[in-house]
Amino acid sequence: MSLQRAAVTRGVLLRLREQIDFIKRGKELLKMKRDNLAAETNRLLARVAKRHEFDKRLMDAYETLKTAYMTLGFSRIQSEASTVRLLEAKIRPRSLMGVLVPEIVYGKKPVITSITSASAYAVAEKLSGLMNELLEIAEAEGRIESIAQELMMTNRKVNALERVLIPKLLELIRYIDGRLEEETLEEFFRAKRVKAVIRGVE
Amino acid sequence: MSSVAFLYLVTRVHGLRTHLMTSDDIRFLARSKGLREVSDNLLKTEYGTEISKLPTKEVDAATLEAIFLKKLVERFFFLIRQAQGNMRDLLKEYCSRFEAENIKRVIRAKHGGQIMEESNLIPLPREYTLVNFPALLNAKDVEEVVALLHETSYRPLVESLQPYRETGSTMVLEAGLDGIYLGKVWKIVGKVSGGNGLKNLVGEEIDLKNILIAFSLKARGLPSSLIEKMLIPLFHRVPKERLHSLVQSRLEDAPGIVTTPRYRELISGAVNLARGGSAVLLERIFLKQLYEDASKALETYFLNVGYVIAYLLLCEREARNLVTIATGKQLSMGEEEISQNLFEI
Repeated sequence: MSLQRAAVTRGVLLRLREQIDFIKRGKELLKMKRDNLAAETNRLLARVAKRHEFDKRLMDAYETLKTAYMTLGFSRIQSEASTVRLLEAKIRPRSLMGVLVPEIVYGKKPVITSITSASAYAVAEKLSGLMNELLEIAEAEGRIESIAQELMMTNRKVNALERVLIPKLLELIRYIDGRLEEETLEEFFRAKRVKAVIRGVE
Repeated sequence: MSSVAFLYLVTRVHGLRTHLMTSDDIRFLARSKGLREVSDNLLKTEYGTEISKLPTKEVDAATLEAIFLKKLVERFFFLIRQAQGNMRDLLKEYCSRFEAENIKRVIRAKHGGQIMEESNLIPLPREYTLVNFPALLNAKDVEEVVALLHETSYRPLVESLQPYRETGSTMVLEAGLDGIYLGKVWKIVGKVSGGNGLKNLVGEEIDLKNILIAFSLKARGLPSSLIEKMLIPLFHRVPKERLHSLVQSRLEDAPGIVTTPRYRELISGAVNLARGGSAVLLERIFLKQLYEDASKALETYFLNVGYVIAYLLLCEREARNLVTIATGKQLSMGEEEISQNLFEI
């Protein structure tokens, strides 16, 4: 809002004052949102921090899988794996402070009890144990990605309000306030002068 | 089987044994730089004819495995054609292990609701199987598969249906199939004359299978009552009572229960593996024992029916070793790792 363009009236001043109150309340809300999103990110980061240790266990499971492949061959492993139904999981969006984050809803879990071979079972046990953790980590990473983007935008909005919009509005209010005061004084002197002229005439 | 026909068969097997790959051949293959080199080196062997038909781009471990299995099946069924009388019947029954494995594959796929194609089965000569596999593959569920087997020698599998419904696990059906298969072989083993070596080898396979079932299922924490249902109701060196005690007791007590000298080391090794959480290696040590004994049988039962079965077991070992090498190379595993997983020749 440029200073030159603003109409210097009491109505505009009142509207600007209302506007700045509203913006300040909005800024506070955005700050609260930012803090909550940051807290949620911290919470999720703790979950993702397990990833390093998880990666090690996953690699260990893959090594076991390799051994099982070498012992039984591709066709037998494929056949043993065919007894296991696929893991059922759906991803649905969930709103977190207005941010859409992914949420994994688990359906039927794979049952590995039909696996006969000891080596194939050892692998299936390790991998199915890791599968839930893998999904949890994927969910946390997906959430962090969405939240981080929103956090960045919220931060920009707060900064824009704090450093640009509010100071400009305050300046405008100060300007209009000053101009109105000047106009009042001018009006006062004009009235006085008019009075004096009228008295001189009498 | 006349002694002439028998001697012909054993002599033929002596000759066929020389076709098996030696320890040096296997080590040489394990040293290959990659899967391509493995397939190139195999071109000079009995597998060469099939491998040479493959386009270079299509050479992968799964394709090579199919070739190894095909050759293994050919070797098994070739012997049936060379045998006569009881020996022929025995070999027919012995070779039905592939048929049983194929039925297991179909059952597994039907249980998991997966679509399975005939190419996923071990290719069997049509004249040696009464099972209608295309019909099994088209069955809608496990119950229909079992119903379709009603007119074959796998009819007793119906008895395993109820436990299957109760447990929801195909393991009971697979155990039932193993029981039927080994039962058929065991029955005919008694009919083959001079079959002491044969009885020892088949009996050992039964014993090892039972001990492996007990160990692997106990390591999973399954209830003893269920494990007992899975055992093959045939016994050789390990009596029924011992197996029963093994299933009822803790794994740590196993060496004190199964005191058969032949299996002592194996049991200790299996206990250590199960305790150390390395169940992935359980099968390997049991198979290793079986193949080692088959190797020894080749020296002991020089002119015995056992020689024929030992040869077949060694054919199986060769196929397994080749699968290990091809899979290992495909998975970019080092020579040392692959060698550790090979069955010694």
